[in-house]
Amino acid sequence: MILSSSYLLSLTTFIYLGAAALYLIHWIFRVKRVGALAFFVTIVGFIVQTLGLALRWRESYQLGYGHAPLSNFYESLVIFAWITILVYIYIEWKTKRRVIGAFATPFASLAMAYASFSPNVEDTIQPLIPALQSNWLLAHVVTCFLGYASFAVACGLGIMYLMRGTEKGSRNPLLMALPENKIIDDLMHQTMVFGFLWLSIGIITGSIWANSAWGTYWSWDPKETWSLITWFIYATALHARFVRGWRGNRIAYLSIFGFASVIFTYFGVNFLLSGLHSYGSQ
Amino acid sequence: MKKSSNENPLWRFITSIKLAVFLLITLAITSIVGTLIPQGESLQSYLEHYGPTLFKIIRALHLNDMYHSWWYVSILGFFTLNLICCSIKRLPFTLALYRKDNLNIDPDKLFRMPFKARWEISSGLDDAKKEAIVKAFSKNAGGITGKRSLSDGTLYLSEKGKWSHWGLYGLHASIIIILIGAIIGIFYGFKGQVMLMEGGITNQAIDPQTGKPIPLGFSLKCNSFNISFYDNGAPKEYRSDLTVIDQGKEVLHKAIRVNSPMSYKGITIYQAYYQAVPRVTLKITTSNGHQKTFSLPTFKKINWPEAALSFGVLQYLPNVHGVPAARVWIDNGAGPAQAIWILKNRAREIKMGPNFYKFLLIDAQERYMTGLQIKKDPGVWVVWLGCTSLIIGFIIVFWVPHRKMWLWIGKNDGKDIVVVSGQSSKNRIQFEKDFRRIKQVLEQHVGERL
Repeated sequence: MILSSSYLLSLTTFIYLGAAALYLIHWIFRVKRVGALAFFVTIVGFIVQTLGLALRWRESYQLGYGHAPLSNFYESLVIFAWITILVYIYIEWKTKRRVIGAFATPFASLAMAYASFSPNVEDTIQPLIPALQSNWLLAHVVTCFLGYASFAVACGLGIMYLMRGTEKGSRNPLLMALPENKIIDDLMHQTMVFGFLWLSIGIITGSIWANSAWGTYWSWDPKETWSLITWFIYATALHARFVRGWRGNRIAYLSIFGFASVIFTYFGVNFLLSGLHSYGSQ
Repeated sequence: MKKSSNENPLWRFITSIKLAVFLLITLAITSIVGTLIPQGESLQSYLEHYGPTLFKIIRALHLNDMYHSWWYVSILGFFTLNLICCSIKRLPFTLALYRKDNLNIDPDKLFRMPFKARWEISSGLDDAKKEAIVKAFSKNAGGITGKRSLSDGTLYLSEKGKWSHWGLYGLHASIIIILIGAIIGIFYGFKGQVMLMEGGITNQAIDPQTGKPIPLGFSLKCNSFNISFYDNGAPKEYRSDLTVIDQGKEVLHKAIRVNSPMSYKGITIYQAYYQAVPRVTLKITTSNGHQKTFSLPTFKKINWPEAALSFGVLQYLPNVHGVPAARVWIDNGAGPAQAIWILKNRAREIKMGPNFYKFLLIDAQERYMTGLQIKKDPGVWVVWLGCTSLIIGFIIVFWVPHRKMWLWIGKNDGKDIVVVSGQSSKNRIQFEKDFRRIKQVLEQHVGERL
């Protein structure tokens, strides 16, 4: 078959890399048309990737396995990129601020590039081992990655805020092109709240699943514990803002710090620590 | 919130949000330790891996089981206390907000609200027109919740989501509900393991921590255990076919798999692991005139007093050059014990002391032993209740606004005036849109621009 999922997903990698480059050009050279093109390319990439995922799902049925493409590290990276783009498209549609694309789409491009080009990432469709054969797989993975993707975008906004904030008052046209501090701050907060909701649901669906698979909803496995650590960090950020009135720089640092914890929960635990949750590293 | 100077300093400390943030950060940092040091291993393995100095620290701080250690549980307890006290401290404030009569407001103040519009009608308002304005307001603001007649006009209020102020308590209470559920599980539940040979039956589980038996109150029989594999060799399914026997009667028959447990009388049985248990049939002939056939599992020491021989199977491999093989340990008291490999249907003779022994592996079969996880946890539903209210509470706190809109139809300096104003506790952007729409609609009804 010419149109295979791996072809479409590799193609997606290039489209997203292109979109990220266009967003950067749009920001740096402030050409309006390039921004519109970047958005168009992102949408095309998203459609191609959606088709690729659907096809991969179908191919797994043809192989006799029959499961959603959420079962190994490669597929999780693809889903991470897919949801990040989805969250970004929503934000751009809501705010009409294309500059944000230069800070959000690189996360998706990097995830896809890592999935496609790293020799350590196995991209074949594998059958589901007994522990993963559950309807909770879809709910758990999608909710967790909605959280992760939102935190990635919030981190991008945090970087944007700090770049703009430190050069306040300067006439640097690059920084002047960014949205006003108040808007970035507000958007960063909203994406963090959104991500926190989904992280919470992701942890809960995970514990319901663990309870039906192993008979224990919480076992302090490193992956579980790190997701809780991430949850504590974002809970701290929300309380600091809600009650202590933290804004701007401090929240931006917390957003970057929180995303570092997300990265460790996602990658670090798989490769550096051992535990029950080792599916993601294969 | 009011800050009273005569507040008890301890109370002020325990109810401070600084403490909450400090505890959240402390929990985040200390939790890392248990992900770096493997939890629940044997003490010996910590000593070997970390050396005597670090081992002492691990022992002293219970870092081998840190999430159940006194100090970690204390932080959690302190966190809960802080959570409860913060809520208590905030309660009067929320109650006041909830009970506040929002009609008890000076119409002049309406114009100081974040969203407002005011029309002065020079031609005057007749009753029909007033009624139309009120109707339009009611329709677009989502119903009128209160009305008050004052000396120079009437004030209407449309209030929604007043109850949303309680979402915060629901959200925080749900964390306490989850912890209560966990505590119920610890005190009224148990976890145990069962290893059952195919055909085996038991009425108790083993506590994995203490090794003590836990009576189940019924018997569990394993009829069969099956594994299937995918073409690539990865496991596809582990399945135990089980029967529950209660008071001599077979009451339940079910095949359980990973992710598909069974429950009986509040006890849930999970497929957890399995073990292949080989059974080897050996024929032994000795040079002093004995011959006998034995059927034995691995790691079982057999004494054969007639031949003054002890032996056992140390290892079994199902396929060595196409045939099964077993490593047999032999001791006849004359010299050191020996271990030899024998292949199926190929006799092997060894000399030990004055005697010769001939071993023949007649047959070998693998039978399965299923590993079941047994659990009773009456607190689990409390945990799910807490999780559900956590999510609902979170949605209320962040997305359900308390919105108020006022309509004032009155007089100012003898002229008829119409004022509409509003405020929303959150989601200003949406409120701004809604308010703009109401303003436009009212403008049409008022019939004048200003």
